[in-house]
Amino acid sequence: MKKRIIVACGGAVATSTVAANKIVELCKKEGIDVEIVQCRVSEISANLQNVSLIVTTARVSKDYGIPLENGMAFVSGIGMEAASQRILAHLR
Amino acid sequence: MEFINYILALGPSVMLPLVIFIFAIVLGQKPGRAFRSGVMIGIGFIGIGLVIGLMLNNLGPAAKLMAERFGVQLTVVDVGWPGSSPMTWASQVGGLSIPIAIAVNIVMLALGLTKVVNVDIWNIWHMAFTGALLHIATGSLTIGLVGVAIHAAIVFKLGDWFAPVIEKYFDLKGIAIPHGSSAYCGPIAVPIEWLLARIPGVRDISFTSETIEEKFGVIGEPMIIGLILGAVIGALAGYEAKLVLQLGMQMGAVMVLMPKVVKCIMEGLLPVADSARVLLEKKFAGKKFYVGLDPALLLGDTQVVAISLLFVPLTLIIAAIVPGNKVLPFGDLATIGFFVAMAVGIHHGNLFRTLVSGCVIMAGTLWISTQTIGFHTILAQQAGTKLAEGVTQVASLDQGGSPITYIMLQLFHMDNLIGLLVIGGIYLISIIATIQYSRGESKVDEKEKIVAQ
Repeated sequence: MKKRIIVACGGAVATSTVAANKIVELCKKEGIDVEIVQCRVSEISANLQNVSLIVTTARVSKDYGIPLENGMAFVSGIGMEAASQRILAHLR
Repeated sequence: MEFINYILALGPSVMLPLVIFIFAIVLGQKPGRAFRSGVMIGIGFIGIGLVIGLMLNNLGPAAKLMAERFGVQLTVVDVGWPGSSPMTWASQVGGLSIPIAIAVNIVMLALGLTKVVNVDIWNIWHMAFTGALLHIATGSLTIGLVGVAIHAAIVFKLGDWFAPVIEKYFDLKGIAIPHGSSAYCGPIAVPIEWLLARIPGVRDISFTSETIEEKFGVIGEPMIIGLILGAVIGALAGYEAKLVLQLGMQMGAVMVLMPKVVKCIMEGLLPVADSARVLLEKKFAGKKFYVGLDPALLLGDTQVVAISLLFVPLTLIIAAIVPGNKVLPFGDLATIGFFVAMAVGIHHGNLFRTLVSGCVIMAGTLWISTQTIGFHTILAQQAGTKLAEGVTQVASLDQGGSPITYIMLQLFHMDNLIGLLVIGGIYLISIIATIQYSRGESKVDEKEKIVAQ
């Protein structure tokens, strides 16, 4: 079954695009079927239906009741491997 | 030369795919991915052209009618950063600004002038905007490119100065935000913090909010902000009910569609951004440096979210009050948080103080963006933005309202000495205060370290 992942940043243009691309590549390599919902942080609450994971490049303190991971590692390149493993652990 | 002119005449949606394709091949990408990146960026430009057209051609005439009926001057629509950044990338300065900003960064790092390793390639457009406007104002591409370099150097220093705020308030270690709008608005908040902390009575006022977001509910969502704003302006313009509803829906659509098309441009830039990051990391990795990242990081903070929502209506009110302002805020409203995020950190999350400094920041931004309307409109026309009859001008808060852009424009092409002296004076004081503040913060750090040892 396709897993839906929200990838959000401030304006849904720059950092979330970088992170979303990396996540798609990663999941393709691991054979996990994913669908990305890219949006602004202020739009996360409106997109929560059937979502398995939220990845944000912002530091979000709010609890949405769905696992949330920080995706800044995909933008900075620092700790990318660890972040990939954490995200995969949620999807498997 | 004829060949170059031919390429330029193709327009950004054809020229930039070619440029990006060649760029990506040079940077060692596979032809397939390079081609896809190029096509994607072209799609981004065609998409943003459509969305900006939808916005300007419908909101523009309504704003004009509203202005005539109520005697306000808000006739020029703010296209926001999703509108102004593609125009900037499409300019001659646009593509050249990426290697220039990276070179300035490397030189400053090598000379020990900054600790910021900027991997945030997208936001180089802020520096390029200053360069593109200088190019238009002076007619000299060289001055434009010098402008990019100067703006880049200032932004990297801002990254250094505010690194303590990022570490202490936002709890992000080893990170700086050398950003075109969040960082340049920061210095304004520093003297205001100093002042407010010294006025008896006022200094004790403090509030924070965990609940504003919940209270606003769906109203805080960009599409609803667009819907309401479109409908209200339509009503104030004296439109009949049918047109009011249509304008509301159109502006809701703009808010949702804008990032969807602008992100295509970012996708096209990905190979360039990837290569630049790898290059910088190889040379400057390690603990002594800050990684320079996008202020998206700050926009999830609860207090930033709260203040961003408050500043949607506040910015509109300020726009109506600021003397001489002609800009109707719209495109930047969905991400107004970029302007005040750093201030939240400087005020330690105190929303009262952020309200004060945010009002000053937005008033200044609106006034400056009114001054840059002329050059901004030329930039838009050069990028091929089609304006309907009666809609003759565009503006943006981010980056058209930037004091750095304005001061540089005045320095190289003066047309308003008083404007230069006032804005330049205020900004210089703010920068000096920021340097002092940054020194104070680092001293505290050293003391804490000694105590800890």
